[in-house]
Amino acid sequence: MADSVANTHSLLTLSGVSKHFGGVDALSDISIAFEAGKVHALVGENGAGKSTLGKLILGIHRPSGGTIALDGKDISIEEPAAALRLGLVGIAQELSLMPRANVMDNIALGREVTRRGLVDRAATLKAVKDVMDRYDMRLDPFAIVGDLPMAERQKVEILRALSRDARLIIFDEPTARLATHQAKQLLGLIRALAAAGKAVIYVSHFLDEILEVSDTITVLRNGRLISTRPASVETRATLVAGVTGQDYQSQFPPLPPAPADGAPLVRVRNLTAKGVFEGINLEVRPGEIVGLAGLVGAGRSEVAHAIYGALAVDSGEIEFDGKPLTGPIRRRIDLGMAMIPESRRDQALFLGRPILENIALPYLKRFSRLSWLNKRAEKASVETAAANTAMKFGALSDRADTLSGGNQQKILFARAAIGRPRLLIADEPTRGVDVGAKRSIYQMIAKLAAEGEAILLISSEIEEIMGLSHRVVVLSRGRVAAQLQGAALTEKAVIEAAFSGG
Amino acid sequence: MQRAMNFTRTYGILIVTVLMFIALALTTDGFATWRNFRNILDQQSTVLIAASFLTIATIAGNFDVSVSAVYVTAPLVALVVENATGNVPLAIVAAIIAGLAMGLFNGIVVSRFRINSFIATLATSFMFFGAGYLVSDRSLMRPVSDAYPMLARSQFLGLTSATWVSFAMVIIASVLLTQTRFGRNVFATGGNPEAARIAGVNVPRVQIATFALLATAAAIAGVINSSRSLSAQPSDDFSFVFAVLTAVIVGGTSIAGGQGAVWRTVVGAFFLAFMSNGFNLHQIDPIWQRLIEGLVILIAVGIDAWTQRNSR
Repeated sequence: MADSVANTHSLLTLSGVSKHFGGVDALSDISIAFEAGKVHALVGENGAGKSTLGKLILGIHRPSGGTIALDGKDISIEEPAAALRLGLVGIAQELSLMPRANVMDNIALGREVTRRGLVDRAATLKAVKDVMDRYDMRLDPFAIVGDLPMAERQKVEILRALSRDARLIIFDEPTARLATHQAKQLLGLIRALAAAGKAVIYVSHFLDEILEVSDTITVLRNGRLISTRPASVETRATLVAGVTGQDYQSQFPPLPPAPADGAPLVRVRNLTAKGVFEGINLEVRPGEIVGLAGLVGAGRSEVAHAIYGALAVDSGEIEFDGKPLTGPIRRRIDLGMAMIPESRRDQALFLGRPILENIALPYLKRFSRLSWLNKRAEKASVETAAANTAMKFGALSDRADTLSGGNQQKILFARAAIGRPRLLIADEPTRGVDVGAKRSIYQMIAKLAAEGEAILLISSEIEEIMGLSHRVVVLSRGRVAAQLQGAALTEKAVIEAAFSGG
Repeated sequence: MQRAMNFTRTYGILIVTVLMFIALALTTDGFATWRNFRNILDQQSTVLIAASFLTIATIAGNFDVSVSAVYVTAPLVALVVENATGNVPLAIVAAIIAGLAMGLFNGIVVSRFRINSFIATLATSFMFFGAGYLVSDRSLMRPVSDAYPMLARSQFLGLTSATWVSFAMVIIASVLLTQTRFGRNVFATGGNPEAARIAGVNVPRVQIATFALLATAAAIAGVINSSRSLSAQPSDDFSFVFAVLTAVIVGGTSIAGGQGAVWRTVVGAFFLAFMSNGFNLHQIDPIWQRLIEGLVILIAVGIDAWTQRNSR
């Protein structure tokens, strides 16, 4: 298959392309051709390499091996500006617009019509209007971009691409932040772009959209190309099988038995934060590990933050131990909640401060009277907690940033251990840690559950969810798409629900 | 090697200050005398009082320009009360309450409305300066009692009361920062506000407290100054905060927040004081003194920026 990809009609051809980051293979030996006038979708799990592939084409990353050819001629895309000159343009999830400028200035940015060094506004306006007419995408040129809804802003970015004579346009998760009818509109627009002769690369998690909009679908898994086939021969089932693969080995400890149907410790009913998640129902019992699955952007962390008091909700109830739960984070910690947040660096650690202070911070009240710290009691408690996590460190007075990622993560487990919480929320607890540290984190989680803690586990790694959860709640676009347990809890069911689009 | 570098990074300012002290003591007549030290301590007292607490606010991630305005206005409040009642303790309490109120106002503006602290306190400075003109009716004020001048000028064990007050304030600030829950929360707030929030720290409350403490300290420094100079005058003079900030920065407390110590600020203040004292004893042109002082600040900030870059 790899030899046959370069056909005469293809606009952009990748042959044997690979990309390593450090020792990690983000992409290996990818051969793929993108044709003018066709929509070519890339599917895969988080981390499968879809975005990396796009970034190679856009000159954001440079390939570690292989060749890229445009119109049959080998090219080297040194930088993003070079990609732009070649007509290779990306429309990202986070749009790169100037929110305070108007539509015309955003579209014309860098390509304003000038006369004697000054911008000729009338001519620029005409050029912008011409592009709008040609692609039948009309917007008020004088509207301020920051005031426009997300879907219109996307159009501005697309128009900018078109006004720069884009030949190939990459859409990376363009519908993730759109409402359903807006998503439909965008898909129509994408078809129109292909009809106008552009090559379109469409990266998305939503299988139904992909099946609807694409001509060709490529499945990626763990940085490898699994298949490239016409959309007409694919179905949801074939894509799910391709995306997940079969192989995974268990590195998970045996789970303690699921608790008998007792009263839940946490009960969330109809929880809604407008524009973030809607009508969420879920329960966690003491001793139970509930996996919260879903794609990036599905609202998993946001639901966790709402339970923890770090995100305001618009309606719905949270019960903790049978009583309605309100109040700030502090109160929830005191009631027996702990959270290991998604980003160690941004949300959890004080990298320049000692390990000891990092561990003790939420529980200083236990080691102080009238704000005066009893440092000896604090140190004794922290030492025990650190030892229980098997953290490797020089001294507790060392700065947190002297530790490796896995050991930094253990700081957070030690922190939670000091609180002896009744509910532990672990958001991506193994992100960026090595295999050994992963295993010991899994063991810690299983042990905490065996000791009776209720655990809400969020992970983007399907194996983790499958290997550690008694029960799985799947979110898709801010809604509960499925609650799975027992025989119904299969990897396929989780993925299908995650990709269902709510 | 790494260890040696860390040691230098941590104690560099102390080493440099001690070396300068020794050099001045060996080379300069009149430096190593009890009388000279007593004067330096007395001169530095107002700066130390405010700088100890500016250190705390800086570690919490904020800056406060209005230290000057509080320093100018609070003693005017004290003297209005003193002139009216002749009651010195009441005058001090009035100044402290005025300082506290201004600090709370700063803290609320910065933390609740999330305005950049430099800009917010620049704006409140003008309000506080204006309040100074109002309460004093735009005139120079003098104490009427005999007790008021003694606030700063009494002698105890050979040192002035101003010096003793500064010692007390330095110790209070240092203990707050290193021995209390509040101190830990200050470091957390300045080091990573989002992580502090997630760990249950009430970030706005911590910030408000640091502003309130700082303005109270600035008010006390202002009263000490008015007692020493036997007068207080409304003005728009911003210079005090820059003297205070210089001590904090030269000491090595990071302007990025989350790192620093009161002892550093004390050392920074004495480094600058020794330098200036040495210049004076050698009769060096004050214009050159300024040039060199500016260069020293640049070097201190440069070292801070450099270590920030290298620590990641």
